[in-house]
Amino acid sequence: VKGGRRLRALTLLAAGALVARMAPAAELAPAPAGIDADLLARRAEDVLRSDSSFLEAAMTIASPRLPADRVVRFRSWEDRAGKRSFIRILSPPKDAGTGFLKLQQNLWMYVPRVERTIRIPPSLMLQPWMGSDFVNDDLVRSSSESEDYTHRLLGVDPDPDGGEGRPAYVVEYQPREEAPVVWGRIVGWIDTEHYTPVRLEYYDEDGAVVRVMRFDRTREVDGRWFPHRWIVRPLHQEGHQTTIEIDTIRFDPPLDASIFTTRNLQRWEH
Amino acid sequence: MGLELRFSWRNVWRNPRRSALTIAATVFAVVLVLFFVAMAAGQHEQMIEDAVRLASGHVAISGAGYRESQTLEHYVTLDPRLEGAVESTPGVRGWAPRLVGFALASKDGATRGVAVLGVDPAREPQVSMLPERVTRGQFVSPELPHGIVLGAELARALGARLGDQVLLYSVAYSLEGAYDLFRVVGIVDVPDTELERRLALVSLADAQAFYVYGDRVSELAVLADDAGAAPALAHRLLVRLSALDGQRLEVRTWEQLMPGLAQLILLDDAGMYLLLVILVVVVAFGILNTILMSVLERRRELGVLLALGLRPASIFRIVYLESLLLAAIGLAIGMAIGIALVLWFQAHPVPLEGRAAQATELFGFQPLLVWKLKPWNPIGSALTILGVAVAAALYPAIRASRGRPVDALRSL
Repeated sequence: VKGGRRLRALTLLAAGALVARMAPAAELAPAPAGIDADLLARRAEDVLRSDSSFLEAAMTIASPRLPADRVVRFRSWEDRAGKRSFIRILSPPKDAGTGFLKLQQNLWMYVPRVERTIRIPPSLMLQPWMGSDFVNDDLVRSSSESEDYTHRLLGVDPDPDGGEGRPAYVVEYQPREEAPVVWGRIVGWIDTEHYTPVRLEYYDEDGAVVRVMRFDRTREVDGRWFPHRWIVRPLHQEGHQTTIEIDTIRFDPPLDASIFTTRNLQRWEH
Repeated sequence: MGLELRFSWRNVWRNPRRSALTIAATVFAVVLVLFFVAMAAGQHEQMIEDAVRLASGHVAISGAGYRESQTLEHYVTLDPRLEGAVESTPGVRGWAPRLVGFALASKDGATRGVAVLGVDPAREPQVSMLPERVTRGQFVSPELPHGIVLGAELARALGARLGDQVLLYSVAYSLEGAYDLFRVVGIVDVPDTELERRLALVSLADAQAFYVYGDRVSELAVLADDAGAAPALAHRLLVRLSALDGQRLEVRTWEQLMPGLAQLILLDDAGMYLLLVILVVVVAFGILNTILMSVLERRRELGVLLALGLRPASIFRIVYLESLLLAAIGLAIGMAIGIALVLWFQAHPVPLEGRAAQATELFGFQPLLVWKLKPWNPIGSALTILGVAVAAALYPAIRASRGRPVDALRSL
């Protein structure tokens, strides 16, 4: 099955890549020599993530079916080195207390209203997270853009869309064979000076762009140029958009090991 | 004419053994044709019926765009006007509203992605085989709020038994988290293993509450009188529903919803017709052979008849009638046997066993061989055999009428 999937993806990619790659390539400047694409991907990831981090954010979901945008506030703790993360939903009231715990490749979700914990199988990593246009994989980070992909530098975009006039490296991410990756491939724009991700285009296995993520409101935090707003837009769903605005970000805070436990997951006062 | 017919009739029995063999071949062919056509018709109807009774009926009405997206985004809003319009459309054998959603079903440590089917317990038996497929417990009912019926494979995977609680989690139409505990009230066994692995049935009211969906449903499943009536019914429904303003709806037939099944049937039919053509060609050569032999054998006799002043056209008719008589006798006997045989099998379906049964169940069909005699089936077979006889007798008849008395007499 895996071989067949790969073969199909390869043929489609070969056809799709010809069309897809020609478009940006026409405007791309050649990259300066000696730039290591793997290192570039690593540095871009390091801007967003550290060995550990804590953040508090508001996620705003816009959809044609909603009379008013839905806002979900949450806190997130991540221990990247230990491959652990924890998320707690703070509001709206109906969802408050919902928790997510990731340990290695395992993901659990706690539903306080019925006091149950659900194990979410890896096959559901592409399911929407909390009704947003983000998917489970975006939030719980079961895959890593620097480790689970091979990287190829396509060139430099002098004025990328959403880059506010700052040039960006254009890097293609191809998933490694054995990686727990849910995308066919990713094309990323990375700021040439600060290595801040500017824009990520996600392709499915058939080689079609399915969503675009943009990063802006970049401010310096602990020596990193951290984008405080992340916007994701699915391309096949008209009028849908999800924005995450980060109010608080702390890099390398002391994190107690008790955070990343099922006991903590189920600890929520109504 | 009367004389010619008498001549022909006598000629048929001139060599009774040969004629009997030809008639037997025709009988055999007619019986086989009737039997196989009826078996294929029965099989196909059964396949379609099984499939539509597990899926969305012969005709499905859904919100415009639903077939592509298969999400809560596209829906049908139920209201009395719409229900009345569907109910009163001629040719609707039954209909039922359905809400189709995705959810995670979880019990203890096990979680599975499931297809949640919200059904109206009162209407569902009209269109689907699901209620009668409940092997343990019972179907969802208004008396059992928050009851859930699981596919047998799904129940096994979750380790869920009757009376156990299962948590469903999904995203509601309002994009809030949807979670609720349901109690397992029944286990359903469906021939489609893949479906059985992810099917979770709840009442429509529970599903609408769970997904915060109001009066909306995903589709209306409509059953037609039979598969062949689906396109016309779909058209009538479309016309009626277009007259109701307000909702943009799409109407699809089972052939559009299950193109794989439609193609499978087409392919099966093609294979069967190829077999029938071969059978019919064999019969044609049988008739040709018998008549030609009897013509060659009777060169002298025919020559004498010509010398006595019988016109070639009469000879032609005598020989031609002979072959038609042969075909007609074979046809009559074949029809009688064939129709009786098919009617008997129609009343007594043959259950499949062992590996054949497993294979059909794997494809989602009942392991049962059924026959269905359709009126056009014997008529078509009769016309085909007669047509073949008419064509096959042409050459011997022409040959007989062209003989010259002198040649015939010389060979005395």
